[in-house]
Amino acid sequence: MDCSQIRDSFMSGDRLSEEQLEAHLAQCPQCKALFERDAELGRSLAAQANAALPLPADFFEQIEQGLARETGARAWLRSRPSRVRFVFTLLLVLLAVIAGGVLRQRADFAQYPFLRVALLLCVYFVAIALAFAKELSELPRRNPLRESLPLLAFALAVPILAAFAPATELSRRAGAEGALNCFAYGALFTLPVALLLWAFDRNDRPSLRSVCLSAAALGLSANLLLELHCSNGNPLHVLLGHASLGVAWLTAWAAARGLSRA
Amino acid sequence: MTAYIAGDKAAFRELFRRYTPLLQRAMARDLRSSEEANDLVQQTFLHLHRSRLDFEPGRKLKPWIFTIALNLKREFFRRSKRRFETSLEDDRVAEPFEGPRGQERSDAAREMERALQTLPAEQREVIELHWFGGLSFPEVAEAVGSTVAAVKVRAHRGYVALRARLGDTAPDPDGVLAGKPSVVESK
Repeated sequence: MDCSQIRDSFMSGDRLSEEQLEAHLAQCPQCKALFERDAELGRSLAAQANAALPLPADFFEQIEQGLARETGARAWLRSRPSRVRFVFTLLLVLLAVIAGGVLRQRADFAQYPFLRVALLLCVYFVAIALAFAKELSELPRRNPLRESLPLLAFALAVPILAAFAPATELSRRAGAEGALNCFAYGALFTLPVALLLWAFDRNDRPSLRSVCLSAAALGLSANLLLELHCSNGNPLHVLLGHASLGVAWLTAWAAARGLSRA
Repeated sequence: MTAYIAGDKAAFRELFRRYTPLLQRAMARDLRSSEEANDLVQQTFLHLHRSRLDFEPGRKLKPWIFTIALNLKREFFRRSKRRFETSLEDDRVAEPFEGPRGQERSDAAREMERALQTLPAEQREVIELHWFGGLSFPEVAEAVGSTVAAVKVRAHRGYVALRARLGDTAPDPDGVLAGKPSVVESK
């Protein structure tokens, strides 16, 4: 005998064997609580669970109509398995990083030790993959902000921290100029990723969790390619042209959430 | 579900028939109108449709549907800026909506609904999924992303709190519980 059988017997009125019941109650405090005071709690819960609730006569038709509207490219994309959505998003990020960062790499790229570059790529990629995996999953979300805010904070902080890491002479001596160019460059290369992410989102209105995770992933992607492309390590330049991209994507996603509500 | 993924329309009707009452009962407790509950049930089926290719054959469908439903419900509360979390000290609870037989529902049933509303969200959620959603405790654990032991502890604490809340009320004044046979059969 298990807890579900006891619940079902309360709801159906079917009788249970006293011997089996006693054996179960002896090791199940939660079911025991249902039987105290003449089983008042168990019977009250069963009465609640058995109460009929109103259902519109055409409810099934309404749902069928909703499903019938699920046609077109976006409907097809958002219904792909989560694993596929994740891999395609990550591939597009990789393409953007290769096109914007690796093929057009910074002037002082060769002066940096391989280990440092590899470590930087790993940190960024792990964080980006984590953000996309969380964003595209259907797992239980008890506290969405607790799981998405650390990633967002990391996305906003990592370019600034990177600016204070040991750098080449070229990087250290640069001024704040060109921040707008970097901002536009990063935004342009991550725009296709943002569009794909929007197309993959199964919610009609982005959730707060989705806003934070998408902004974190896009901000990190933009900063990764700028890290490879831009040799300017001036803190003001990094703050205005690189780190601001995370904030910009956060604002854009929040605006999309607001617009879809309206 | 496998038939539905393969495109069998009759399979969807069966899913609807089987899960709509359970979803609706599990959704309805915290919402102020039947329209809100029905809207969330509708969204659950829409998400189920969009996520159908994520379903792995052999996996239990019920906890998976309820994971989708709970995520939607939590997001609904976040969007509407209404409280999902309530504390035992808080007596200002939302009035639950009335069903078709709302006028006939007894004070005892209403008292039970109110007592449920005053439970902390994590205890209420477990009790609602088990009793109104028809999930076993292992299924509840899967739907809320916790362990079986943890959800049983939450259920037990919730039951104790409910009994304390209901303890002050006169037992079954309007006969809601009358006529319910005893669940125990003597040997």
